[in-house]
Amino acid sequence: MSADSHALAPADHSPISGLAHDIRGGISNPILGMLLFIASEIMFFAGLFAAYFSTRANFVDANGVKEWPPSEFADILNPFSLILVATVILILSSVTLQMALWAIRRDDRTGFLRNMAFTFILGITFLLLQAYDYSLLFQEGLTMGSGPFGTTYFTLTGFHGAHVFGGVIMLGVVLYRGMSGQFSSRHHDAVEAASLYWHFVDVVWIVLFTILYFL
Amino acid sequence: MATHALRPAAPTYSRGRLYEWLTTTDHKKIGIMYVINSFVFFLIGGILALVVRTELAQPGLQFLSDESVYNQIFTMHATLMIFMFVIPMLAGLGNYAVPLMIGAPDMAFPRINALSLWMLPLAGILLVASFFTGGSAAAGWTSYPPLSLDGPLKSPGTGQDLWIVGLILIGTSSILGGINFLVTIFKMRAPGMTLFRMPIMVWTVLVTSVLVVMATPVITSALVMLFIDRNYGGRFFDPFGGGSAVLYQNIFWFYSHPAVYVMILPAMGVISEVLPVFSRKPLFGFKAFIFATAGIGALGFSVWAHHMFTTGSVFLPFFSLMTFLIAVPTGVKMFNWVFTLFRGQLTFSTPLIFAIGFLTMFLIGGINGAFSASVPVDFALHDTYWVVAHIHYVLFGGSVFGIFAGLYYWFPKMSGRMLDEGLGKIQFVLMFIGFNLTFFPMQMLGLAGMPRRIADYAADAGWNDWNMAATIGGFLIAASILPFIWNVFVSLRNGKIAGDDPWEGNTLEWATSSPPPPYNFDHLPEIRSERPVFDARHGRGAH
Amino acid sequence: MSPNPRKRPAPEALIAGLVVVILAALVIAVFLTGWGSSLYPPDAVTQQGRDVRGLYDIVFAFGLAIFILVEGLIVWSVLRYRRRPTDSDLPTQTHGNNIAEVIWTVIPTAIVLFLFVISWQTLNKVDAVSARPDIRIHAIAGQFQWQFEYLDQDGKKVATQLTPAYDTATGAGGMAVPVGRSVQVTLDSPDVIHAFYVPRFLFKRDVVPGQTNTFEFTVDASEAGQVFRGQCAELCGTGHRLMLFSVIALSPTAYDAWLNALIEKSNATPAPLPSGTVLNVTAEGIKFDTTTLDVPADSPFAIAFTNKDPAGVTHDIDIRDSNGTVVANEDTINGGTTTNYTINPLPAGTYTFFCSIHSNMTGTLTVK
Repeated sequence: MSADSHALAPADHSPISGLAHDIRGGISNPILGMLLFIASEIMFFAGLFAAYFSTRANFVDANGVKEWPPSEFADILNPFSLILVATVILILSSVTLQMALWAIRRDDRTGFLRNMAFTFILGITFLLLQAYDYSLLFQEGLTMGSGPFGTTYFTLTGFHGAHVFGGVIMLGVVLYRGMSGQFSSRHHDAVEAASLYWHFVDVVWIVLFTILYFL
Repeated sequence: MATHALRPAAPTYSRGRLYEWLTTTDHKKIGIMYVINSFVFFLIGGILALVVRTELAQPGLQFLSDESVYNQIFTMHATLMIFMFVIPMLAGLGNYAVPLMIGAPDMAFPRINALSLWMLPLAGILLVASFFTGGSAAAGWTSYPPLSLDGPLKSPGTGQDLWIVGLILIGTSSILGGINFLVTIFKMRAPGMTLFRMPIMVWTVLVTSVLVVMATPVITSALVMLFIDRNYGGRFFDPFGGGSAVLYQNIFWFYSHPAVYVMILPAMGVISEVLPVFSRKPLFGFKAFIFATAGIGALGFSVWAHHMFTTGSVFLPFFSLMTFLIAVPTGVKMFNWVFTLFRGQLTFSTPLIFAIGFLTMFLIGGINGAFSASVPVDFALHDTYWVVAHIHYVLFGGSVFGIFAGLYYWFPKMSGRMLDEGLGKIQFVLMFIGFNLTFFPMQMLGLAGMPRRIADYAADAGWNDWNMAATIGGFLIAASILPFIWNVFVSLRNGKIAGDDPWEGNTLEWATSSPPPPYNFDHLPEIRSERPVFDARHGRGAH
Repeated sequence: MSPNPRKRPAPEALIAGLVVVILAALVIAVFLTGWGSSLYPPDAVTQQGRDVRGLYDIVFAFGLAIFILVEGLIVWSVLRYRRRPTDSDLPTQTHGNNIAEVIWTVIPTAIVLFLFVISWQTLNKVDAVSARPDIRIHAIAGQFQWQFEYLDQDGKKVATQLTPAYDTATGAGGMAVPVGRSVQVTLDSPDVIHAFYVPRFLFKRDVVPGQTNTFEFTVDASEAGQVFRGQCAELCGTGHRLMLFSVIALSPTAYDAWLNALIEKSNATPAPLPSGTVLNVTAEGIKFDTTTLDVPADSPFAIAFTNKDPAGVTHDIDIRDSNGTVVANEDTINGGTTTNYTINPLPAGTYTFFCSIHSNMTGTLTVK
């Protein structure tokens, strides 16, 4: 982080000068930090998924029927609809982000910026599609308050959406910094970290989509 | 120590010391502010405990006319002590000590470190402010639903919501802190500081951080779901709306049992630094100790349901076995500590006295743990004062004694001055007697059948004497804090100048000046063992 | 390991040894003389409780032995190995001993495995539930009152005890069980989590809403005529401390008489409403539908009381005068039922009517 390099500027030959930098090579601080953050995020979603499966296993509707999704919402979650488009868009955004990463690794700043911009737009598109999908569900009467099914559905997708939102902000910052020329093949930890996070969000969605719509 | 600077030149402008402290990213200042912040909440939590003890001194509701107030008080006592005192206090000591001990100039992410710190007072203010918004959370620090859900006779007030938000903030602060510790420990060690030359304190912070990073987000998820249930018509934990009350307990304890180790492991780390220094011997069984620490951390994830033996919905034998097994690495540590003292040359400075207090009291708390692991015995003891005694023997007799050992041990490093030994010993004696007078009778009360969290009890239940004793003990503990505050206050101005290494320490923090310069070290001694400063003092041959 | 280079004088070792022995002897003496009896649970009165107590004694013996051993070692080390001004050389730098580590890993492991096995065996006895118990009781814990439904062998309710605590003066109330018979209790809650706890049973079990917990016990034959205190053990809100109940152990014949009386009482039709003033009061959502009532002075009146809360949530209407003296103490009724309370004449004044179970349910009764 910047404070360290600031500290070490005056005397690079000193006994402590090597400490802040990664003298042994290997993973850099921000990336290790991001990996650990993702580990903790995985545990957060694990808690939500545990609640989902527990709720689902215990669910019995008012007539004593054990059916999931409950009969009144049986047709509401059609995987081959708008949501599939959103899924494809999110997966595509991971691909373009990876292309941006490869581009900056070989110092291709134009390719980096182009792919980064694509990713950013795809991320926003996903959010808009999800918002639109929510509005459709609300119209059909599925809300947070409509029983365990609605609660778990909106909690899981909502927290995923919040993470996508956070990711889009992260991408926006990376894009902005990229446009002012802050990244190069030697210095692009922020891009690596943001891409790790975005891929994680993407994987969560794939798991979520599979579980909510197909299982 | 050489004094010429490797540090950046002092800035030419000056905005005063307060501004400097408020905006600092120096891990030492942040660590000290963690300690101060935690101590403030320790005092608040302690006053709440005195209110509880005063009410319980005699049968009848004399002091609090309204029982709902009583429920708020003990809920906030536990919440503040656990989340605003013990966990951040140990994080603060770790923040101060870990970079110094591994020879690093700072934490890996200094600005995130400052963020972690400043989230804490904010969360604390939210928690305490709930007293003024129509009552704080009152469903116990565990806040089991359905009691913690919205509804008449449940928890309709905003206090419970503020509690949830406050805890999520504290959890986020912990997670960021844990990540920071892990990256610092893995990436910023000085040359020669291999993993198995790291001081035990660093090891315990390492294992603690793994627990924090992996377990805290799980309670965040539980709290988030509770918030959704309370405010947005969610149905996770409402058994009459398709949810499950026990689900919350499972998720909650999946975090909160590891949290017990978050609260004790760094205190064990402090003890493991203090005992060798003051017995002039290395820690007995250094590697065994590390494996035991890691073992406790790993087992800690598989015992959560021993808090739920009486719910009738957990697989009892498995959790009983794992809980029993966790006694083994804990026992290994205990013997290693005792054999560190054995055949040493003991200097009874205040840190060592508190460390020995830790050993004697934590032993009782640990043995108590085996009773809870035995499911049928737990059927008798669960949710009685016996459990209250157990957790206080572990968390007060263990963690708090460890915290004071650490404060006395590192105060000279933090301030450059020694604390007064006489006042320190007065504090210890008062605290040790008060502690046992408070919590030993609680074991008898629990065995005699007094449930926890009751505001009043029948006069003919036979609990009067022990309750009075516990109340007197509680006030003795409170009295023991006064000499400490006075000691800090006086010693900061007039204390004996400490010098770099007043205790003949072993670890790297004693190789720099007291207080250390920004970015910590001008020179590092060679690191060839877990006691580099000892090696430098006595020559490698003495090791 | 090199041998300790310096010989230490004997007196320190002697003093330390003496102190350790005296302290250990003191601890043991405390238990031998019975002063340590408060570190044991009370004597169990059920078959299952005695199993738990037997287990407790074993765990306690191990705990005490380990306590004496380790505290003894600590006290010994503290007294024996004090640094003296003449100690300028370092003590032997012992880094550890693998054999010792193995010993204090293996022996504690063996101990805890042993404790685990006997705990498991005891658990299987304590937790056993039979298909055909002698007596079935369905205990319902609502905020903040217990009620006990007595069931026949098919699980059909035959009587309900709405007064959970035994009153020594009147002999009413409490959950009666016959001694020497297996009693199976099923637990349900209409609101939050409670816990069924009788200290003398050395047992408790949570009452979890949405989940029926079951346990079984047999009270020892020698306990006939005894009353045991029971209490909710899981924080359940502002009335937690008030959730008391009693278990009355009766001989089988006395139990049958008791149950028949209860059945009769349960089947009794509510008292007819007297002529004169009749007030209608409904309780719903832990609230009365009115907070003010007016009646004429010095004449009897009646309250037709409806409890619209779900079954398990009990209410009543009691009346206290301005001094706090309770002038009418009526029986509680279960959710979904109605009753008629006949109140004796009251002198003019302002009174408070309240639900004895929910302190938030109050109102003003004006008598004029």
